[in-house]
Amino acid sequence: MAEISFPLPDLGEGLIEATVLDWLVEPGQQVERNQPLVELETSKSALELPSPQAGKVVRIHGAPGDTINVGEPLIVFEVPDDTAGIVGTVPKDEAPKRRVRLSAVLDED
Amino acid sequence: MSETITALTGTGETDANVQHMSMQLALNRALDEILADNPKSVIFGEDCGRLGGVFRITDGLQSKHGEDRVFDTPLAESGILGMSVGLAMAGFHPIPEVQFDGFAYPAINQIVCQIARMNYRSRGTLPMPITLRVPSFGGIRAPEHHGESLEALFAHVPGLKVVSPATPHDAYHLLKYAATRPDPVIFMEPKSRYWQKGPVNLASADMDTAAHDAGTDSGGNLTGARVVREGRHLTLVAWGAMVARCLQVAELAAEDGIDVEVLDLRWLKPIDAEALATSVGKTRRAVVVHEAPLTSGLGAEVAQLITQSCFATLKAPVERVTGFDVPYPSGDLEDEYIPNIDRILFGIQRVLEYRRG
Repeated sequence: MAEISFPLPDLGEGLIEATVLDWLVEPGQQVERNQPLVELETSKSALELPSPQAGKVVRIHGAPGDTINVGEPLIVFEVPDDTAGIVGTVPKDEAPKRRVRLSAVLDED
Repeated sequence: MSETITALTGTGETDANVQHMSMQLALNRALDEILADNPKSVIFGEDCGRLGGVFRITDGLQSKHGEDRVFDTPLAESGILGMSVGLAMAGFHPIPEVQFDGFAYPAINQIVCQIARMNYRSRGTLPMPITLRVPSFGGIRAPEHHGESLEALFAHVPGLKVVSPATPHDAYHLLKYAATRPDPVIFMEPKSRYWQKGPVNLASADMDTAAHDAGTDSGGNLTGARVVREGRHLTLVAWGAMVARCLQVAELAAEDGIDVEVLDLRWLKPIDAEALATSVGKTRRAVVVHEAPLTSGLGAEVAQLITQSCFATLKAPVERVTGFDVPYPSGDLEDEYIPNIDRILFGIQRVLEYRRG
């Protein structure tokens, strides 16, 4: 298993921080992509941040009321080692299938 | 797994130097050791630093070796390769990454006009010891520009060397080898094989693990091709991800009584012509398999090299089983584009039933 850290993104245009209002997930919990993770408040608005990926939550940073700077760790996920990159999927290991048979008269000269 | 390792070492005892790992991890480990061994080596590219690369190949390297050695670049391939030229001129050993094959196009000017010929242009006073890592080929259902095979393009440029590993063991040793070369090397990583695990002998490059696995250790020479599976009737020539597919085909052909040899070229520039001559000299039939489009693909070069050395004894013209002469398709059509088992078997059948006259 590998750990992937997700830092707080810029939630507006040029915002530098956000305040945690309430965590919607907890360590140990399995989350899906786009599942709401946390309620945050910025100087512009309050919002729910969706999960950038599926995985098991290992750590969350910041209790309600704490301020986190953009770029600092927000949440850490545990994912299987064979999780694909950001683009594409891991090819499945499938048993080889065939329709074509070979036929040949081989002269072993 | 322990059985595999025992079989590999052949001693009945587990060799502590042989570890089972994915190509992803083998490459990561090689890069880690390159940075430790050579203080002039630097790694950079889009998302290579903090994120550790989109395929996690540079994972953990920035925190271990520092932001001066492993760093992120702007989203500009011409800049990544242009900077490599300057760094190499200043005595560094750059290991840039182009995030995906199709992203190399904006850097073609830097690669072809500067990196490939600076050594020539400067009469050997400005060598370009650059290892350009390019996650390459298709097979992961990715969008446009993420599944292309540029080996023929690079191989055509004088001054460049081109290599593509097919196994974790080769990936580890070929990358370490490439990073010590005084010449620019295009290192094409078969991204669909990143997650496949295999034995890696960290101590010895000479142990050709995949061939060992198949019981046909060719002696393993990092600068040449390797016989992955021995056979009598026909040689399948491949590289990158197509090596594993050709091995599957060879097993299926055996069910029909056809004994297929599989040759992994590894180096696509220069091509190991001697290995081709030895293999096809024996089998007298050859099919070359690649993902890249047919026309002016490297298959034509391989066919010519075989014809040159084996013309008198060839039983049939060399067949090519390749991608099609179309832009690389979207993920849903990928299986129709990349040479599949049946298309390769058809290619073999065409060679087997060829009659002169």
